[in-house]
Amino acid sequence: MSTGALGAIARFEFATKLTRISTWVYFSVFAAVALLWMAAAGGAFASANVIFSADKVFINSPYAIAQTVTFLGMLGTVVIAAFMGRAVQQDFETLAFAFFFTSPITKAQYLFGRFIGAALVLMLIFVGIALGVLLGTHLPGVDATRVGPWSIAALVEPYFVMLLPNVLVLGAMFFALGALGRRMLPVYIAGVVVLVGYLIAGRLLADIDNRTVAALIDPMGSIALGVLTRYWSPDEKNQRLVPVANELLWNRALWLGVGVAAFAVCFGRFRVVQPGEEAWRRGRKARALEAAAAQAATPATPRAVPQAVVRRATGDYARQLPGVIALYLRETVKSPYFVAIVLTGALFILGNARVVGSIYGTNTYPVTYQVLEFASGTFGLFVLIVTAFYAGELVWRERDARVAQIADSLPTPTWLGFTAKLVTLFAMQALLQLVVMACGIAIQLASGYTHLELGQYLYRLFALQLPGFWMIAVLALTVHALVNHKYLGHFIVVLYYLFIVAAVSFGWQDRLYLFGGQPAIQYSDMNGYGHFIPAVRWFQLYWGAACIVLLVVARLAWVRGTDVEWRARLQRARSRLGIPLVATAVAAGVVFLATGAWIFYNTHVLNPYRDENKQEALRADYEKRYKAYATHPQPKVVGVKVDADIRPEAHDIRFRGEYQLRNRNPGPVTELLVNLPEEATVHALAASIPLKLEEERRDLSWRRFGLAQPLPPGGTMTLSFDLEYAARGFTNSGASKEVVDNGTFVNSGLLPVLGYQGRMELSLDRERKKHGLEPKERMPSLDAPGVRDRNYISSDGDWITFETTVSTDPDQVAIAPGYLQKEWTGNGRRHFHYAMDVPILDFYAFLSARYAVKRDAWHGPRGDVPIEIYYQPGHEYDLDAMIAGVKDGLAYDSANFGPYQHHQVRILEFPRYASFAQSFPNTIPFSEAIGFIAKVKPKDPKDIDYPYYVTAHEIAHQWWAHQVIGAYAQGATMMSETLAQYSALMVMKHKYGDAKMARFLKYELDSYLVGRATERKSEQPLYRNENQPYIHYRKGSLAMYALQDAIGEDAVNRALASFVRKWAFKGPPYPLSTDLLAELRAVTPPEYQGLLADLFEKITLYENRAISATSRPLASGHYEVTLKVSARKLYADGNGAQKEAPMDEWVDIGVIGAGEEPLYLEKHRVRSGESTFTIDVAGKPVKAGIDPVVKLVDRRPEDNTVPVN
Amino acid sequence: MELVIRDLSKRYGNGVQALDRISLAIGPGMFGLLGPNGAGKSTLMRTLATLQEADSGSATLGDIDVLRDKDRVRRVLGYLPQEFGVYPKVTAVEMLDHFARLKGLTDARTRKATVEALLERVNLANVRNQKLGGFSGGMRQRFGIAQALLGSPKLIIVDEPTAGLDPEERVRFHNLLADIGEDVIVILSTHIVDDVADLCPRFAVISKGRVLLSGEPREAVARLGGRVWERTVARDEVGAMQASLPVISTRLHAGRTVVRAYGEGSPAPGFEPARPELEDVYFSAVSGHLEPAREGVAA
Repeated sequence: MSTGALGAIARFEFATKLTRISTWVYFSVFAAVALLWMAAAGGAFASANVIFSADKVFINSPYAIAQTVTFLGMLGTVVIAAFMGRAVQQDFETLAFAFFFTSPITKAQYLFGRFIGAALVLMLIFVGIALGVLLGTHLPGVDATRVGPWSIAALVEPYFVMLLPNVLVLGAMFFALGALGRRMLPVYIAGVVVLVGYLIAGRLLADIDNRTVAALIDPMGSIALGVLTRYWSPDEKNQRLVPVANELLWNRALWLGVGVAAFAVCFGRFRVVQPGEEAWRRGRKARALEAAAAQAATPATPRAVPQAVVRRATGDYARQLPGVIALYLRETVKSPYFVAIVLTGALFILGNARVVGSIYGTNTYPVTYQVLEFASGTFGLFVLIVTAFYAGELVWRERDARVAQIADSLPTPTWLGFTAKLVTLFAMQALLQLVVMACGIAIQLASGYTHLELGQYLYRLFALQLPGFWMIAVLALTVHALVNHKYLGHFIVVLYYLFIVAAVSFGWQDRLYLFGGQPAIQYSDMNGYGHFIPAVRWFQLYWGAACIVLLVVARLAWVRGTDVEWRARLQRARSRLGIPLVATAVAAGVVFLATGAWIFYNTHVLNPYRDENKQEALRADYEKRYKAYATHPQPKVVGVKVDADIRPEAHDIRFRGEYQLRNRNPGPVTELLVNLPEEATVHALAASIPLKLEEERRDLSWRRFGLAQPLPPGGTMTLSFDLEYAARGFTNSGASKEVVDNGTFVNSGLLPVLGYQGRMELSLDRERKKHGLEPKERMPSLDAPGVRDRNYISSDGDWITFETTVSTDPDQVAIAPGYLQKEWTGNGRRHFHYAMDVPILDFYAFLSARYAVKRDAWHGPRGDVPIEIYYQPGHEYDLDAMIAGVKDGLAYDSANFGPYQHHQVRILEFPRYASFAQSFPNTIPFSEAIGFIAKVKPKDPKDIDYPYYVTAHEIAHQWWAHQVIGAYAQGATMMSETLAQYSALMVMKHKYGDAKMARFLKYELDSYLVGRATERKSEQPLYRNENQPYIHYRKGSLAMYALQDAIGEDAVNRALASFVRKWAFKGPPYPLSTDLLAELRAVTPPEYQGLLADLFEKITLYENRAISATSRPLASGHYEVTLKVSARKLYADGNGAQKEAPMDEWVDIGVIGAGEEPLYLEKHRVRSGESTFTIDVAGKPVKAGIDPVVKLVDRRPEDNTVPVN
Repeated sequence: MELVIRDLSKRYGNGVQALDRISLAIGPGMFGLLGPNGAGKSTLMRTLATLQEADSGSATLGDIDVLRDKDRVRRVLGYLPQEFGVYPKVTAVEMLDHFARLKGLTDARTRKATVEALLERVNLANVRNQKLGGFSGGMRQRFGIAQALLGSPKLIIVDEPTAGLDPEERVRFHNLLADIGEDVIVILSTHIVDDVADLCPRFAVISKGRVLLSGEPREAVARLGGRVWERTVARDEVGAMQASLPVISTRLHAGRTVVRAYGEGSPAPGFEPARPELEDVYFSAVSGHLEPAREGVAA
């Protein structure tokens, strides 16, 4: 009987759920989503942009399937909640418990039976994902080369490692809550808490120290999966089955434990007799009340009921409205579930406040915009959850409480309840925004920051964000009114949310057609919300009008009374369709169409609308049409004289200028190939040799002119131009962020560029294939013919003379490379004339803003070099660090590599629309996002002084790029970015010491490893890197640091100084990375030649691991540490396929004492395999290991050391 | 004011003909609407209470078109649905006050007085600050009638109000209904004959969506005079009897079955004449033994 009954209960639960349509709806939705997802990843939709971390990863690789199954399984949490929560709760809701509790089955049979039955149904539903994955790869349009070999294990494994544990763990929690609470609400709240666990884990990932914790606290294991596979190369992702190891194993074990505990609690506390008891208790209460009521003997003459004074004018109802709203709102807000969700959200914000704006694990000051973006962005999800949920609750309020028949027969107009519910939703959202505001202010005050910009809080939360939430509320309310089925309504609203999230991945970006869409806006301390607000307001008006139409629909479909058949609802809708509603709908419709037309005019006519696919198509077209011109001789720019008129408030810039051109080719030049951005208005374009327009394709930025007479070799000519970039309305993404009210930053890319532009070519193989092009390398190979002819910064110029006059509004300062010759005000405008006294690269920029200036000077060997920082008033925090970075950088670089070629350094803040700093000659634009609000705590061993570091890096570029510039070829950036990193690292090392460098390099190692894991084409060795940031910055840092650690900083600097002497201010021919390597090789002793090759010419990975460490005290008071380690070296190809290489080289062996203090750190000869070292140390050893500060590339640096026993 | 229903019909999407050309004229006072479960009583009640649409026919209350001018109906309507719930965490006085406000009692003082008086009248004054969740079924029904009486309605519809009440509560509830003013139309739908017998000067029987009979209970009973016969038989004889005779009802009495049958004369040997009761009228009508209703509109 015992297992028989259990089986029967499980079977019954399973079988009844199989007959439910909803089971198959869920199954189909999962299958459909998986199918679409796969098809998108496989390239079936031209505009879709879905990849599994790297293009070379097959869409059906073990990794991709594990990710897909896990991710879609997470969406399944809602379904798990529905099935598991209701497994027992349904018996209370339907009052069927009496039948079960009176039959001869045990509690165990009942509970396990139900649980197993529900788990089986859920697993069946999730099989839909695998089905969708399988079918999706076979859809027409899926690129066959993106599909790899199938592995059954890969398809099955995630079910057992991820989904089954999730069903059991989450299931047990939901099951217990549903069974013990007998209501579904606690179950849904628990669902939200699980989601928050995942979100917190995702947030924690931002800091690499928290990864293990993050992997553990996500109940669904998704983060653990991500952490476990974060460094997997494309090849590993294609080959390896996800192992149940490390973080993933710990996560699964931990949560299975939690699940068992939840079930145990459920089992212990569940009482099969409880309902009876409770009914009895309730009955007793009722009887007591009855008695109380009866005590008052009915008076002989009951008090007369006053004759009703009933007012029924519309105004009277309007006056009732606030009361009804207040009632609804009170009811909602006082509910413990609402409080629970809001508190969870608030705690989530406050708990994660620590990582706000963190760069290199170092925080920023909690400036208002940053706190606000973080808090409102994070809390936005909670607002959406609450909105979706309470839209349903409010619509169903009376019916759920079974008072609908009374309420509906009351003489209130239908609009009263309708309006009250809508406004209640609106008010609730506003209330949540207040919570965000309170949290934001709390975060600011908690860290002692008191510059609270309340106006900014109110504006962003209530004027920008709230209208968007209101639109969602209208949509949710309309959905619920229309479908008239609570759970289906919820499901549709959730599907809508998912659609919005997925829309961008599928290439639907046109906000004209995405409900509630509006351009994203970014606040900048410099530029405020700039001129991006009008576009937002137009979109708000447009969608607001749409919302009014929706409200009319909802109002017509609103259910009042008991007749919910479609026929009756239509009949009622017709009778409701009076003049006011028709007029409202028509008026709103007219506004909708009119604003829609205006938006269309702006985003599709004034400005072309192109999704990614269209943009790719244009670039492909450019290559197909004009590639033949790549070999056509063009003159080089040798001099630039340009006047730039910046009109900040009109968002307009006009360039009038002249290029000096020289024919450096052996043959004559017969035509000019002029590239000009499509947005340019060309007022004039002329040359000293008459031009004849032969071909023009503005959308391809292309103009081809014939020269009236050929330009002979060595001959010169001028090209003069008058170009204007004027703001043209607004675009789908907002408006141009170049010329803005305060903080204009434009570069020479807006001016004519000569010759075929190779950088227009699509570089990703996948994109090229889609547009019918053969794969190609991203940069010319080192041995390509003529590769030394041009530098990698500019295709049409070498070293040029430069002079400019920039004008701007009288309250702004305009800056360009060069030295200020003259400044004057005329015609109500301020003019600045700059000239450069040495040749510079053909690369310059123009900036204008209302700046404050901080001045200082570096006392150099050749006199003082003035330093100026142009910054936004209020951003004084890090100016001293920047000035120190300038001084230390100038001192180090000029002492070691040769003199600074300019006699001034200017740093210029620009708005955070981009987050980089960029070195131009004597001029360094520096984003407000990456150093102006950093809060570097000098005593905190974890904080990195990144304003100082970034500044030192940019200063180093005055040598590494602006003195020595590489040829446009693979490895070019090793001579600029890698060397600038090296200079910055050395400057930092001298200021902050080795321990801080170890900390910094930890981030560099992580960035490199993550970068190579998500490489979209092919990882290159450093000396052949194709402008790949994770290689030239991150791996560059690691390689240069390891090299100087091995051969000494002096040796490296000697090589670099020699490199500068040979190549500075020269070219063509320009140097290649092999020239730099030759210099380094010359200073490297024989025992490190292998290391040099491993670092720069190969992709080398180490798997170093400490196995054990023991110590024994010696008579001398010292300790003898016996350390056993294992070492392994691997070479990887561009795809990450690895081959073991014999290892025989010098590696750090270290013993670390209390307080992370190294007791011993020396290089030892280490060979592949295990080896043992015996070390005598003076202090008490705590940890010991191989490469303990991780100077070598190792994907599990944490196992390099072990505690000493 | 009189409620006149003509040829009211309603067919649900699943094919059930809930109302089939219902015609009734209902004047002030208590009107009992008697019928078995599924007869269409609730559909008729809900249609009159503006909650349901009709397919055809008309209903007028004085000069109000009940089917179209729902708002005017609601202004004079008090409705106690067959099934209703309460907000468990709200007190009686809060809830009633909320309904009063929605009924248009905007003046705070009058509203308060009305609410207090009504709670007193339905004997809930002592528990007015208790949460509704703890109320017994009878208390809830009393609360329901209190809300139906808000705003001095002219038409009160009470749908199956005594189902599930114990006898004591039922009596108390009947007293409440009986106290409602005589110039108000009160329609009481029920399947319990005694409710009508006790309370209603006029009534109608409906079954399968049709009006089978309408008039005054006493008159209807009188019309059955001499036509009701009774015999006590063993239980195993009942089946045969039901098959061959116009049986009105059977009920158990001390383990044997009392069979009542319809007939101008004794329907079969052993039957004794019996005194007709309203129940006999009801069962005869429902089982089709009574000749079709007279013209439904009783004067």
